[in-house]
Amino acid sequence: MRLVVARCSVDYRGRLDAHLPMALRLIMVKADGCVAIHADGGAYKPLNWMNAPNTIVEDDSVWVVSNPKGETLTITFEDVMADLHHEFGTDPGLVKDGVEAHLQELLAANPDHLGDGMVLVRREYPTDIGPVDLLCRDAEGNPVAVEVKRRGDIDGVEQLARYLERLDRDPMLRGIQGMFVAQVVKPQARTLAEARGISWQEVDYDELRGIPSDELRLF
Amino acid sequence: MKFRCERDVLAEALTSASRGVNNRPSLPVLSGLLLDLHGGKLRVTGSDLDLTISVAIPVDTEREGVTVANAKLITDIVRSLDPGAVMFSVDDDEASVTAGRSAFSVRTIAATEFPNLPEPSGSSVAVDAQAFAAAARQVVSAASRDQDRPILGGVQMETEGEGLRLVATDSYRLAVRDLPGVVILDDSQSVLVPAEALRNLVQLINDEDELRLRIGERDLTFELGEARIMTRRIEGQFPNYRTLIPKDHPNKLTVERGPFVEAVKRVKSVVRDSATPIRLVMKADGLELSVTTQDYGAGFEQLDAKYEGTELAVAFNPQFLIDGAEAAGGEEITIETVDNLKPALLVSSESPDYRYVLMPVRFP
Repeated sequence: MRLVVARCSVDYRGRLDAHLPMALRLIMVKADGCVAIHADGGAYKPLNWMNAPNTIVEDDSVWVVSNPKGETLTITFEDVMADLHHEFGTDPGLVKDGVEAHLQELLAANPDHLGDGMVLVRREYPTDIGPVDLLCRDAEGNPVAVEVKRRGDIDGVEQLARYLERLDRDPMLRGIQGMFVAQVVKPQARTLAEARGISWQEVDYDELRGIPSDELRLF
Repeated sequence: MKFRCERDVLAEALTSASRGVNNRPSLPVLSGLLLDLHGGKLRVTGSDLDLTISVAIPVDTEREGVTVANAKLITDIVRSLDPGAVMFSVDDDEASVTAGRSAFSVRTIAATEFPNLPEPSGSSVAVDAQAFAAAARQVVSAASRDQDRPILGGVQMETEGEGLRLVATDSYRLAVRDLPGVVILDDSQSVLVPAEALRNLVQLINDEDELRLRIGERDLTFELGEARIMTRRIEGQFPNYRTLIPKDHPNKLTVERGPFVEAVKRVKSVVRDSATPIRLVMKADGLELSVTTQDYGAGFEQLDAKYEGTELAVAFNPQFLIDGAEAAGGEEITIETVDNLKPALLVSSESPDYRYVLMPVRFP
């Protein structure tokens, strides 16, 4: 990652022409070649940017960034305040949702929340298109694949349906049933799940964690 | 298609049928109203496929036909016209609406794109429209509006003794209304009706005497003169509510209903969220109502009331309390309590067929 703080002007030529007049800005050049010019405001969106792959030609006071589509970004420097290089290495990726992972962990520890007599076979049971969250067996010993989400949307149902299709090819798991579990299962997801023969269940995160609800209800 | 109709009659039909149109329709054509002109009658139908509202009005027909027009647009136009006659005609894919010096043209959708809606099924049973509407009004506010809990979004209709019972609950409160002598279901039969359908039915009922119900296997139809509401029944098991109705309460507060509702509304005015409760202190010399919010301030009011029991401070969701007291009717209401954590029972001295069970809210 290269970070340059400088007074500069920027000219973009491509799908349209755009000009940023001379001002103090932050220029980010990422390891993959992406270039982004930021002002001192806004959470994430640069004033101008070019996605990788790019070629950067540096002169004394001018950089010309170009890409295979013929677009160019010309940065003209007046004064460079800082020019820093840092090696970031491989990014571990975004851990999206701690609640979702914890729900899976809690249900793995207490599979009876999913049905009387339900027992866990394995967490993250592998398929050739990715692991299904929980593989269980119900009270009769029938295999059940469980997909756990924080919010249950139709995407999650589709995902589980794909896993079921792969798992059903395994003679040991033939006839496997699916169960879609979330804190809240959206109405569309319920409809789709029922249409696909997948059962769905809502779980209370606090209850699973053993935290009594402060809310008084009739039932 | 070409007809002439009085603005008020047409506007009312369009407004009523529009209540069946969903703001976010599953098919583009369902943002429209189906206008079907045959035999001197214009039938206006709005539907989201779960709920269908259809109204027929007599019109002066010049040319029969059928079309679909955007519900909001056509309703807004007709309602905005000066009182008097409205001419409505459709040529190709455009409807023209004229009245006095006003003229509008509106794009239409081919009626063939409108889904075929099922016909009402089940045998027809008549009930007193006014009594049914009054009962429905008393329970619908207790039904949940949370789409994630569809069963609680329904009103359970079931047989109770020699009559009909309507029940709704959102798990925080429970409203029960009996209609003695109204027999429309078999002893073991129960029907879960979407509360939204009943809310629309209540709005549709004016001074009609008779309401007819058709209970099909999967749907339910209310027929009111030339108007019809057809709704899909909710499938699933309604909670076993009977054990939730408290049998015995040591504390009884009796208060004038009107002043109580007004006082709760006044004190509630400092509440700007749905979580802040109203606190009721019940004691021998009357009732104290108070609300305290960290951000906005506090409200306090005293009311005359009769109280039997030990002094008790209990908090409720103020809107739920208002809903129950308003629905109860009568001059006086009685709030029966056990303690500040157990369900309270709200009843009216003049409406013994109505019961409202309300869960308290914890407060520090």
